[in-house]
Amino acid sequence: MSFKDALKAQLHNIRDYGMYIAFVAIVVFFTIWTHGLFLSARNIGNLVNATSYIAVLAVGMTLVIIIRHIDLSVGFLAGTLGAVAAIALKIYRVPVGVTIPLVLTLGILAGLATAVLVARLKIPAFVATLAGWLFYKGLLQWVTRGTGTVIIENDVFNALGNGFIPDIPDIGILPGVHKVTLLLGLLAIVLFITSEIRNRKKTQAYNFEVLPMNMFIVKLVFVSAVIAAITWVLAGYQGLSWAAAILLIVVLIYSYIASKTIVGRHIYAVGGNPEAAQLNGISVENITFLVFGSMGLLTAVAGMLYASWLRSATTIAGTGMELDAIAAAFVGGAAVSGGVGKVTGSILGALVMASLTNGMNLKGVDLSVQYMVRAGVLAIAVIFDVATRKKAS
Amino acid sequence: MAQSITIPAVLAQRRTVNPMTEAATVVEMHNIRKNFAAVQALRGVDLVLHHNEVLGLVGDNAAGKSTLMKVLSGAYIPDEGEILIEGKKVHMTDPLHARRLGIEMVYQDLALANNLDVTSNVFLGREAVSARLGPFSVLDGRRMEQEAQRLLDRLKIDIPSVRLLVERLSGGQRQAVAIARATAFNSKVIIMDEPTAALSVAAISKVLDLVRELKAQGASIIIISHRLEDIYSVSDRLMVMRQGRKVRDSLVVGDIDEFRERVVAYMIGARDDFAAVVN
Repeated sequence: MSFKDALKAQLHNIRDYGMYIAFVAIVVFFTIWTHGLFLSARNIGNLVNATSYIAVLAVGMTLVIIIRHIDLSVGFLAGTLGAVAAIALKIYRVPVGVTIPLVLTLGILAGLATAVLVARLKIPAFVATLAGWLFYKGLLQWVTRGTGTVIIENDVFNALGNGFIPDIPDIGILPGVHKVTLLLGLLAIVLFITSEIRNRKKTQAYNFEVLPMNMFIVKLVFVSAVIAAITWVLAGYQGLSWAAAILLIVVLIYSYIASKTIVGRHIYAVGGNPEAAQLNGISVENITFLVFGSMGLLTAVAGMLYASWLRSATTIAGTGMELDAIAAAFVGGAAVSGGVGKVTGSILGALVMASLTNGMNLKGVDLSVQYMVRAGVLAIAVIFDVATRKKAS
Repeated sequence: MAQSITIPAVLAQRRTVNPMTEAATVVEMHNIRKNFAAVQALRGVDLVLHHNEVLGLVGDNAAGKSTLMKVLSGAYIPDEGEILIEGKKVHMTDPLHARRLGIEMVYQDLALANNLDVTSNVFLGREAVSARLGPFSVLDGRRMEQEAQRLLDRLKIDIPSVRLLVERLSGGQRQAVAIARATAFNSKVIIMDEPTAALSVAAISKVLDLVRELKAQGASIIIISHRLEDIYSVSDRLMVMRQGRKVRDSLVVGDIDEFRERVVAYMIGARDDFAAVVN
């Protein structure tokens, strides 16, 4: 089979690859337009930190959308939880080691409260979380009423959104390069290649279809090159930021759960056909509780990342975050009808939207135009999605 | 010489089972009653299914056949009556319980998740795992794919790949997946609710072939259908229901026209074999 034929055979995966191609195109476009400024280490670092909290929300939102629900309350909930963290640290002098687990727990409880409305009382998620949106908007103003904007002075907490992972001391090799970041990047490439090869061998041993060899090599080289490039750029500045590290951990855990575990399979089943899932012994209610609970947990993570990034909690923190997260999930390939969507897709969606904002900011594009451009990208992504899916069926 | 040994053996075996049935029973339902408010949906129905038998269940709308099957598959709990599975009395509380007892239902709307592939649907709710960690147990994807492929091969189901999403399959293939799932886990009884409804002629004949294949492999099956020719072509025995009662229970014999005429007479109430037991 020639390479061209092999490529043609993979066309049914165009939706998956299309996102990556679009992302690369956007990066290349802005890099040329800004004469390389876009791809500078400093800008990439900023971009990742500014995306991290939206991306974390988008991961949770993807699962919510997969099970045919929506969560509008996460923006102000993130703001509220960020304020709770700030007030705990600043006013009540709670140690950071206690504050973080406390806020994470509150996030889970808030998510479960939403699940009670949606799963137990059968209130449509749109209405239930719209009520949540109002409630947390009020709660945020209430908790910050006495204090106004709370400036956070805890260095450990502020490092979450601004700091970088530590490096080994300079030993003369590669001065000015963040060596731990380089090692992590190298490790990621090695792990990726070995796991792909092992997976391919096992799949072949069972006589199942695998990618043609030339396509497989292209995939390995492409992904490795992307990891290497990102690693090199980050290592040349201050290394991997804590926010990026947290985002990576969230993505790894969630994509593993979604694709490799029973509960992940059941989440997709509930999204595809809730009645069928129930008939086959899957508790739709339990899955709904789990998904909203995880959404609450990730909202707490996002709220703290945001507060840490700004080194403060404000009375309007979180405004509109839920819509950015929802947009990221849809750009990343989630379907309103449920059952479809990927954690990695939503991260890519968040990166695409943030890259547009960042690139246009660098060129000083008017804010009003920025909104319209992002609207166009969201619409095009969904149109592309609908068109490719219709073709497939 | 061999014959002189086998004939008494068969006779001996016949004496041990009910002479009326000639084979071990898998399902016995006695005097099943079910009311919904003022409506008597089931008014004392008996049903027997023998081992390796295909039983056709017919009746007009609201005759009670679906209600009876929902009782057997655990979706409804009867007000009265008893159910025996392989001679053992059971009290089913929900469909999962029934499934654990080996009663598998193929629903008319198939209960498939279209966004998942064939393998995932076959194993839905009964996934094989390679590491046990509660809800976070790790799926054994390759083993499930292999077993799903083996299942399709065994049932001679024509689907190009077990990795295909169910939404990409034809109506007949989807029906085949739903039936395959019902047979995947050592089921004792397979109940099919209108398996040939809304299918093309070619797909219908494939589904009927699949039913025959299952019977050849020893399955015991109950089929609900409006299509009398389908019942005629695959069933050993026929049960007709009307207004919550059984009105006919007999072997499928004779030619198709005669069969159809007789069945319709029972369905519309012109004939009734069990009129004496009406209360």
